[in-house]
Amino acid sequence: MRPIGLGRTGWACPVPCQQNCACRFGRRHILAVGFAALLLGGCQGGASIAVDATVPSPLVDPIRAAMGVYFEDDLVTYVHEEELEDYGPYRIDIGASQAPVFVRVFNAMFENLVPMEPADQGTNLPAGPIRFVGTDGSSPVVDGIIAPSIEEVQFAIPDQTGGDFYEVWIRYKLTLFDAGGNNVGELPLIGYGKANERNFGQLGQRTPALHEATIWALRGAAAELSLRFQDQEQVRKWLAAIGVQPR
Amino acid sequence: MKVSHVTRYRKRGVAATVCLVAGLSSVGCVQTTVQEVRQADTQIGTGESIVILSRKHKTQGETEDDFVTCVSDSVNSGDGALPILSEREFVDATFPWFEPRTAPLNMEDLATVINRPLIARRIDEIGVRYLVWIEGTTERTDESGSLNCTFFSGGIPACFGFLSWESGSDYEASVWDVERGMTVGTLSSEAAGTSFVPAVVVPIPVIARVREKACANMSDQIKTFIHPTLASVPVPEG
Repeated sequence: MRPIGLGRTGWACPVPCQQNCACRFGRRHILAVGFAALLLGGCQGGASIAVDATVPSPLVDPIRAAMGVYFEDDLVTYVHEEELEDYGPYRIDIGASQAPVFVRVFNAMFENLVPMEPADQGTNLPAGPIRFVGTDGSSPVVDGIIAPSIEEVQFAIPDQTGGDFYEVWIRYKLTLFDAGGNNVGELPLIGYGKANERNFGQLGQRTPALHEATIWALRGAAAELSLRFQDQEQVRKWLAAIGVQPR
Repeated sequence: MKVSHVTRYRKRGVAATVCLVAGLSSVGCVQTTVQEVRQADTQIGTGESIVILSRKHKTQGETEDDFVTCVSDSVNSGDGALPILSEREFVDATFPWFEPRTAPLNMEDLATVINRPLIARRIDEIGVRYLVWIEGTTERTDESGSLNCTFFSGGIPACFGFLSWESGSDYEASVWDVERGMTVGTLSSEAAGTSFVPAVVVPIPVIARVREKACANMSDQIKTFIHPTLASVPVPEG
């Protein structure tokens, strides 16, 4: 008996077969085995997501300053990859979201935002003072420069924690420069997001749930940054050093 | 040929009977309780709307998104429909003040937020008058029995056994008047029911739709709470 619609070469066996599987399965068996394979697939396999999102413009009073911003390559290409024992490989690509999110937030936080980059092109920031220029090679007048970077990304799935949530943490570092490119301080920033597994179907929930949790982590970081920025001691010192009045 | 027709009709008859039995008995009984505590009068003017939100700051027991969506859709439709602004539209419009970790947890915090000129202007623009904060979940408890399904030779599936479980929904809504900066009332909707699946060859699920019932009750309550004159309109039994 040959199953209708499936040739011998077109049949992928979910378990090793000694004989040709296509010869031993009828249409009903195929449905049953397909369902079983789907169930097995629901237990393992990890997830791979790419988040290309931004956040709404924050409702905050802007600081009266012209602020330069520099996004290093490691930030805008950031990908977190991790193999979870028993749960498979996970890949979270958040690089494409970084510049849109920070530009949206900084545009609301400062009266004027200027994209900048080091005059000496390298992929990442050198240790000493840096001469920043505009992305068109010009020398714009700015009060200071901020360069965000990602220190670490962590995530957890409900099977690990025993809870209801897919969770994502993004730990940022904001390096604060004066107009001369001197490192004046650093500000840690954590974005946390979670997604309730109950809001997703039982099968195939990992990818959309992790995507949702990551978006909330980006929103969390943006919210934290726009609301608490000036409350931080490092920021107060930096603003004082560059001669900018807090709002 | 004649025998073939009879067999076909007999098969159709069996299938129809199974469907009829399943259809008639697929909704289990649900017991419901609703409560309302009013602290102030309510009214909603032209151009004003309501937002129904869930609390997202807890580490467990977070209200399901589809419950909030169900209540929003139900309040926004049918008799006495009220204008609704979706949760996502509201949190985006007021970003970052109503995010999971920044949303005000009490009236004092709300007052601090909405007294900021930027927020006050935005809330005025989007016309939100009432915030309805929903908390609670639907939980499945007391599962018992078992159901085993197998394939007989020839590929015919069959299930045998009896499975049952209790479900309970327990939701509470706190209604905030943004314009007056005060809590105007608290509503609660509870529903409980037993679902079971007897199976002799064909499983017949009899599901107690507790969350749907809790949603319907909560929606009706919100409508009549905001528009008290609707209370005199008879609500059809669900």
